[in-house]
Amino acid sequence: MDPKKENDIIEGITRQEYKEGFVTEVSQEFIPKGLNEDIIRMISARKEEPEWLLEFRLDAFRRWQKMPMPRWGHLDMPEIDFQDIIYYAAPKKDSERPKEIDPALEETFEKLGIPVREREALAGVVAVDAVFDSVSVATTFRSTLAEKGIIFCSFSEAVKEHPDLVRKYLASVVPVSDNFFAALNSAVFSDGSFCYIPKGVKCPMDLSSYFRINAAGTGQFERTLIVADEGSSLSYMEGCTAPMRDENQLHAAVVEIVVEKDADVKYSTVQNWYPGDAQGRGGILNLVTKRGICKGSGAHLSWTQVETGSAITWKYPSTILKGDYSSSEFYSVAVTNNRQQADTGTKMIHIGRGTKSRIVSKGISAGYSQNSYRGLVRMNQGAVSARNYSQCDSLLIGSNCGAHTFPDIRSYNPTAIVEHEATTSKISEDQLFYCNQRGLSPEDAVGLIVNGYAHEVLSRLPMEFAVEATKLLQVSLEGSVG
Amino acid sequence: MASNSSEIDHGNYVPVPVTEGIHVPDGGSYRKVFLNELPEKGFVVGKDASLDITVILLPGHSADFPIIVDLIGEGASVRLAGITLCKGDDQVTFDITMNHRAGHCKSEQIFNTLAAGASRSAFFGKIVVAPDAQKTEAYQENHNIVLSDDASVNTKPRLEIYADDVKCSHGATVGKLNEDEQFYMRSRGIPEEEARVLQMISFVAPILTHIGDETLDANVEAAIRELA
Repeated sequence: MDPKKENDIIEGITRQEYKEGFVTEVSQEFIPKGLNEDIIRMISARKEEPEWLLEFRLDAFRRWQKMPMPRWGHLDMPEIDFQDIIYYAAPKKDSERPKEIDPALEETFEKLGIPVREREALAGVVAVDAVFDSVSVATTFRSTLAEKGIIFCSFSEAVKEHPDLVRKYLASVVPVSDNFFAALNSAVFSDGSFCYIPKGVKCPMDLSSYFRINAAGTGQFERTLIVADEGSSLSYMEGCTAPMRDENQLHAAVVEIVVEKDADVKYSTVQNWYPGDAQGRGGILNLVTKRGICKGSGAHLSWTQVETGSAITWKYPSTILKGDYSSSEFYSVAVTNNRQQADTGTKMIHIGRGTKSRIVSKGISAGYSQNSYRGLVRMNQGAVSARNYSQCDSLLIGSNCGAHTFPDIRSYNPTAIVEHEATTSKISEDQLFYCNQRGLSPEDAVGLIVNGYAHEVLSRLPMEFAVEATKLLQVSLEGSVG
Repeated sequence: MASNSSEIDHGNYVPVPVTEGIHVPDGGSYRKVFLNELPEKGFVVGKDASLDITVILLPGHSADFPIIVDLIGEGASVRLAGITLCKGDDQVTFDITMNHRAGHCKSEQIFNTLAAGASRSAFFGKIVVAPDAQKTEAYQENHNIVLSDDASVNTKPRLEIYADDVKCSHGATVGKLNEDEQFYMRSRGIPEEEARVLQMISFVAPILTHIGDETLDANVEAAIRELA
């Protein structure tokens, strides 16, 4: 392609709109900027937390202070001033109608396509927990779910209503001092979802959490805990967006999933945080720890992620396969454009006999972005006849981006089998020519090829998300043909 | 400038100086098999030059092989191969960096390891394709068979690619001797131990065939019988 046309197209991307980039004008209450023990006490007091949780936070904070910022990622991470962040921001509740959702908030979620009132969604019924900055503003279908004994509420409510469950499972999968950002999250976490599926219950609808950052200068510290008891099953989805701003905002989440014997959890994410502009100004720093444990035999955990947003993504959803014959999958599509950077992948830790895992990762880099896959597969001594298969493909669009693969395979068992393959290539001229010849514009052709390339992952998404994800892929790559 | 410590990774292409060592001049070729040692660490390959190196490590040797190859001229081609047979307390590490600095170059790596006893074998292989090294073809394979409960294998292939018109792939496997193959041979009257030896020989055969040296083949076969 001639340079002039390429310039036109690059200009096209810069003008391209991030349609979730608006700001909602609601009166919000903040706590002062900065991070110290008083701030943590203040957050805890705002949330009316019990003493043990405050102790948990303070302990985490003390550990965090001694930890260095991780620098091993293949990322150009800006310096983060942790004293320059507001750790808690909540929309003010109208005291007249404390039970009602603020109409401005409802409108915000409506605009984002998130139903905060109970109604039929595209592919049937979905229960939603909507989180706005530091608080959960609504959780739908709670009573319908309660009939089956399912608990689905915001994390803060769970602390009040089900303290025993929270206390039993909190930090049981991601220990407080697991890593720098997990420790930070443990100290200052605000809200997120809590979900408990009792023994033998199949959750009748998809559960979903939607995270929205609105206030400037704040960070969001999501904490989600999912527990699937023996023989239960659940499909859980997570989505997120944020306004367009010139400064970076921090999202440091911790998600913990406990899968008991014979239970089945499917966790899907479509991550569409604001990616920053074409020059790399602004955008969300998405520094996330997600981990699940297949505790009992025959447990199954499946991760599906579509990562299109964020200036920086640092995220490795992992599974500890502890129960015998438990299994896990990781399906991922990560798209980076402009100056985005992603260092993402998974960890599969095989402990039990006959455990199985499968990794399919598709990276797509365009513009000036850097996209890395980083993964660990570990076969412990007890992982007799364990099996892993990993496939990591990277697609390069344009000559200024980078695609990288950093797998790590460790086997301590002679009967375990691990296979890993990775390829890197660009969209072939032949494929493009074939499409062009049949009347598709270069952009449509790239969209078509990319969707085909990512199909194996997209087809794993729940219907609701699959439609959105397909559209997102098109938008993220708009104008990146080169 | 921040410190250059290798633990800090800024996510960008960092042009490191070309390594020192054996220089294969433009159009030249260098082909050699090393047994249990590799005196050179660095190799620089010029335009249209070719480098073909095989390292064979027999049981009873612990070693650490850092190898850096720089492809600095267009049309250079490199083949690196290795057989590692280890047992007892052997500890073997291959740490390979393949720097594609010029376009239209080709590199191929194949490293196969048989780990017995309480040995520990590690393979770190990095392919870096510089921003202007278009039309690069780079392939890397690392296969490992763990023969005993106490042996362990760690493999970390790495692709760092900063150019777009490339074909790069790596494959890594860790596994055991195939039971179906053993059953096939045993049902045809081949004793189990012999069957295992045959499997192991065929596992390393692609590297030996490339060299075509019968004395070496015999040495490797004898060493494999030690492992079985």
